[in-house]
Amino acid sequence: MKKIGFLINPIAGMGGAVGLKGTDGDALGKAVELGAKPMATERAKDTLSQLKGISLSEGLTILTCSGSMGEDALREVGLQYEAVYEAGNETSVADTKAACELFRELAVDLILFCSGDGTARDIYRVVGKSAPVLGIPAGVKMYSSVFTVNPAAAASVLEYFLRGEAMVRDAEIVDIDEDAYRQDILDIKIFGYASMPYRPTLVQGRKFVFHGENEERSKGNIARFASEFMRDESMYIVGAGTTTKAVCDALGVEKTLLGVDVVQNGKLIKRDVNERDLLGLLGKGGRSKIIISPIGAQGFIFGRGNQQISPEVIRRVGVGNVIVIATPYKLEETPYLFVDTGDISLDRAFGKYVSVVCGYRLAQRKEIQAAS
Amino acid sequence: MVQTKFVLDENELPKAWYNIQADLPTPLDPPINPATKKPVTPDDLKVIFPMELIKQEVSAEKYIDIPEEVLDIYRLWRPTPLYRAHRLEKYLKTPAKIYYKWEGVSPPGSHKPNTAVPQAYYNMREGVKRIATETGAGQWGSALSFGTKLFDLDCTVYMVRASYEQKPYRKSIMQAWGATCLSSPTDKTKSGRAVLEKDPNTTGSLGIAISEAVEDAATHDDTNYALGSVLNHVLLHQTVVGLESKKQFKLAEDYPDVIYGCVGGGSNFSGACFPFVGDKLRGEKPDLRVVSCEPTACPTLTKGLYTYDFGDVAGLTPLLKMFTLGHDFVPPPIHAGGLRYHGDAPLLCKLTHDGVMDAVAYHQNEVFEAAIIFAKTEGIVIAPETAHCVKATIDEALKCKETGKQETIFFNNSGHGNFDLAAYDAYHDGKLVDYEYPVELVKQSLANLPKVG
Repeated sequence: MKKIGFLINPIAGMGGAVGLKGTDGDALGKAVELGAKPMATERAKDTLSQLKGISLSEGLTILTCSGSMGEDALREVGLQYEAVYEAGNETSVADTKAACELFRELAVDLILFCSGDGTARDIYRVVGKSAPVLGIPAGVKMYSSVFTVNPAAAASVLEYFLRGEAMVRDAEIVDIDEDAYRQDILDIKIFGYASMPYRPTLVQGRKFVFHGENEERSKGNIARFASEFMRDESMYIVGAGTTTKAVCDALGVEKTLLGVDVVQNGKLIKRDVNERDLLGLLGKGGRSKIIISPIGAQGFIFGRGNQQISPEVIRRVGVGNVIVIATPYKLEETPYLFVDTGDISLDRAFGKYVSVVCGYRLAQRKEIQAAS
Repeated sequence: MVQTKFVLDENELPKAWYNIQADLPTPLDPPINPATKKPVTPDDLKVIFPMELIKQEVSAEKYIDIPEEVLDIYRLWRPTPLYRAHRLEKYLKTPAKIYYKWEGVSPPGSHKPNTAVPQAYYNMREGVKRIATETGAGQWGSALSFGTKLFDLDCTVYMVRASYEQKPYRKSIMQAWGATCLSSPTDKTKSGRAVLEKDPNTTGSLGIAISEAVEDAATHDDTNYALGSVLNHVLLHQTVVGLESKKQFKLAEDYPDVIYGCVGGGSNFSGACFPFVGDKLRGEKPDLRVVSCEPTACPTLTKGLYTYDFGDVAGLTPLLKMFTLGHDFVPPPIHAGGLRYHGDAPLLCKLTHDGVMDAVAYHQNEVFEAAIIFAKTEGIVIAPETAHCVKATIDEALKCKETGKQETIFFNNSGHGNFDLAAYDAYHDGKLVDYEYPVELVKQSLANLPKVG
């Protein structure tokens, strides 16, 4: 009989569609002002709904927190649970930490959580390596390796773990170096190594920031090519990252490192946009394209760090007008590319392969896996 | 019992090469001297080629005799066998009949000495002491090293850097035959130094290596240049393959419905298929399909522009009318190094442009998957270049399986892969990259370049 601790950060991911870099600190209030809606509970329910068969057959015990931190989702899905931690109406980091202290005392076999990097870091601070952790992806920043590629995969990994068929390995807990980020430098800080169950292709790797001369030369080649074909008068929605920044540098346009910007005819149209901004611009008509780079070693084209480019935005632009760019070194570390827009039929519309621009007049065919 | 090999006796070696120019309905567009903008003259070419090869280059004679001295050396390995691949057929459960011409039996291991030997011979006859050349995968460099040694000539080979590093034993075999093999671009030539200055870490290209070899020949009185593909006289020499194959198909009481070959510069496939294409041009086999197979990483025939372009990067060669990706195109470092060329043989390009021949392109991984199937069924570990037409053959055979059609499929098995095992390792390790050419984005980038004049 296995026992797991389960918790949700109910506000995780709210910053994404409105263009914020997370919901830490002041960002939550700003996200609400901008019309952000909670999404973590729905993501958690996607995972939980697949656990019903497992909980019956494996005799699983689920310990959780009250209300929106876990109990509500479990009840709505129809799973048996025990609420061992009483959270208030307004939850906070303190609740996450206190719940995890309790899970540790009660010797859970694994902690299943639904959030982003910030909560992953909070959990790690309490649990360390005393119990494996498994993250359902719901945050804006999800650079840590503890997240599965999608909510359904979390259920699969958990099932393998409960049957003793998953490996347990070290998984990086990372987050953006906040000081560097304020200076517009993308640098990933590793906070530690948690333990997590692992099955190939079902978990995402740590985001590597690739440095070195060859990486920079590759970016330069990609940027040179992109700056040539981007002169076609289309409106370009430019995703986040260092490679897309190199493209904007080649165009002479200032780019938001972790945000989405809009460029047309070599000029910046709008900076650090959210979904509403994009839909407004698309509503004016004209040809539009998306130019985007996969997120580090994880290989997510959509669904991680650029949720402003929502399913509605992608549909209006057209899947065929999505241009993916990445350096050869990034692609070498990324066996597949993943798409997790939140809209399963849209994910599947990307097909089995995508051509990724990786140099000057050069591309690679990469296999795409829809996160579903 | 199904016969496996169709073998000709030595005295059945063709005594003359076949010149498809005699059967073309419209003549080939001539190469252009970039300085004069007029068709090149023999005088333009004699700086780097012997006169006999220049005559062959422009000849419209249907057959050109093979010298006895060349035949004598051909007999070391020719006629090569035509195989019926009935093990592959059984594995695929196809009703199709698959045949291949096995050129890997030559000392260098490929079709390349079919032209290396006569080129060395004609140069020797005209007093040349050294030949400079380029090589991609190393097959041509090996073959010319072999050919020049037979006639006591020195040989300098400029090998594309990516292949020089990927296939070190190619260099070893060239050295065994007495040649000097250099990693191109080198600092020995002006064109090499110009490339290194722009990009010291370039992986190199056949276009760059050609520039270096041509410059070497043009700047040394005792040195000529030899090209392993593209030019008419090279394709002419290679027709010994197709001429033998026609005789062997008679022994098999068969004739191809479709012919496949891998194409980098075009010589191996042209050699194999031109004698059959001649039948098609003369109306004897109007339904014959002839398909070139190339990599998606360097898709000259399937994505290139049909226009005049330089044969090399530095612009030292005449302008040739051919499909091209642009003479400054540096193909990615795929393992089929012999297919990494921005252009193709003008003769093959004309036949493709005119609809007599067709072309398909494949990614690296699917090509090696086909090579593994071939190795496990027919036993031969083939060169990565050759694997492109094996992929096409397998696909065609599987189509026949679906339709029940008993087609006769013929491909030129141009060489072994014994020096390419690192490529097979990379495939097994999942390290092969499926490069491709983003043709629509390239067109977009060219459409938006500033217009001048």
